[in-house]
Amino acid sequence: MKTEDLIATLATEAPMAPSASLERRAGLGVAFGGLVTLTLFFVVLGPRPGLLIAMSDPFTLAKTILPLLLAPLALIMSLHAARPAVPLGVVRWLALIPPVSAAGLFLWAFSTTGAGDRFALFIGHSIQVCLPAITILSLPIIAGLLGALRHGAPVRPARCGALAGLASAGIATAIYSTFCVEDSPLFYAVWYSLGIGIATGIGALLGMRYLRW
Amino acid sequence: MTDRNDRWGDLLRRANRGEAAAYARFLTEAAPVIRNIVRGRAGMDAGTEDIVQEVLLAIHAKRHTWRESDPVTPWLYAIARYKTADAFRSRKRGGTQVPLEDLAEQLADDGSGDPTAARDLARLLDEIDDRSASIVRAVGIEGESAGEVGARLGMSEGAVRVAYHRALARLRKLAGTEGLTEETKE
Repeated sequence: MKTEDLIATLATEAPMAPSASLERRAGLGVAFGGLVTLTLFFVVLGPRPGLLIAMSDPFTLAKTILPLLLAPLALIMSLHAARPAVPLGVVRWLALIPPVSAAGLFLWAFSTTGAGDRFALFIGHSIQVCLPAITILSLPIIAGLLGALRHGAPVRPARCGALAGLASAGIATAIYSTFCVEDSPLFYAVWYSLGIGIATGIGALLGMRYLRW
Repeated sequence: MTDRNDRWGDLLRRANRGEAAAYARFLTEAAPVIRNIVRGRAGMDAGTEDIVQEVLLAIHAKRHTWRESDPVTPWLYAIARYKTADAFRSRKRGGTQVPLEDLAEQLADDGSGDPTAARDLARLLDEIDDRSASIVRAVGIEGESAGEVGARLGMSEGAVRVAYHRALARLRKLAGTEGLTEETKE
């Protein structure tokens, strides 16, 4: 077929196919994935006793708030990354707030905790729950989000997938944090971040595989 | 660049309102620019036009990722670069390209087409969905017109042509990956 013929043929389909916008699909994907994650969470883990009282401490609240703040910022970036030539924009700088805050909290906790207690708080007693839980709780949301982003056209699929993983991990970590009773930043600033990093890496790998077009 | 961007933006906005002529003009003006991008990567290769057509199909399939407030030219260049790199990756992996278009024509001519080629095509056709395969057989091999096939399948003539083209693009891709499996077998 000649290129001119192809163009003539494509032109007959000029009106845009009525399809839900990328943003709407992503919203639905996150909602469905989030529902699965929440169900999984309530069935297997559930919130800690005395959650509201614990959360009245701002340093405990931060372990829920920071990932919750990260999620929409990463989601917006993943949507930008799904459109060719759309820059990530100022969101990328805003997205630095949660990790920088976490690092600050870690340093603050390090300086205010007695030398003898630091290591015990850092290691805690639930790393073996924390890391797999954050990873697994992220997966349904990653799946929902990637399903939506496939309708986009990411020119760097791994980056787009990583951002989707980051957004999903933000939500999953916020949910997980209501179960976790390790309230020292020496614990959560490190291990939550590692869990989020794992989910982000999974997102990048899945993106390379499923976001190509 | 800005002139072009404004003009293309205008054309695409009109295309989004269903103006086929504006869309045709946009694609016609974009084609030589895409060809330059492909050639920048490929040199004056015989396969250039195939890649140009793949880029045009990609632009068509992903036209909803352009928002009317975004500049058009960077969007279009990004797609062209991505699809060109993609085409080169799969071509490199696949070794030599099977000229499917020629193959289909050759088979349509008479029964004397290269029997290996005929077998290759038959095997590739098995790997795509039945509807697309039947369109390729009818249009590419039996030489039916898109209109006739469309009437039989209850599709518009344009839809048949696009389906035919997409099927050929997929066959090319499949032929590329098959080349790989055969190379590794040997």
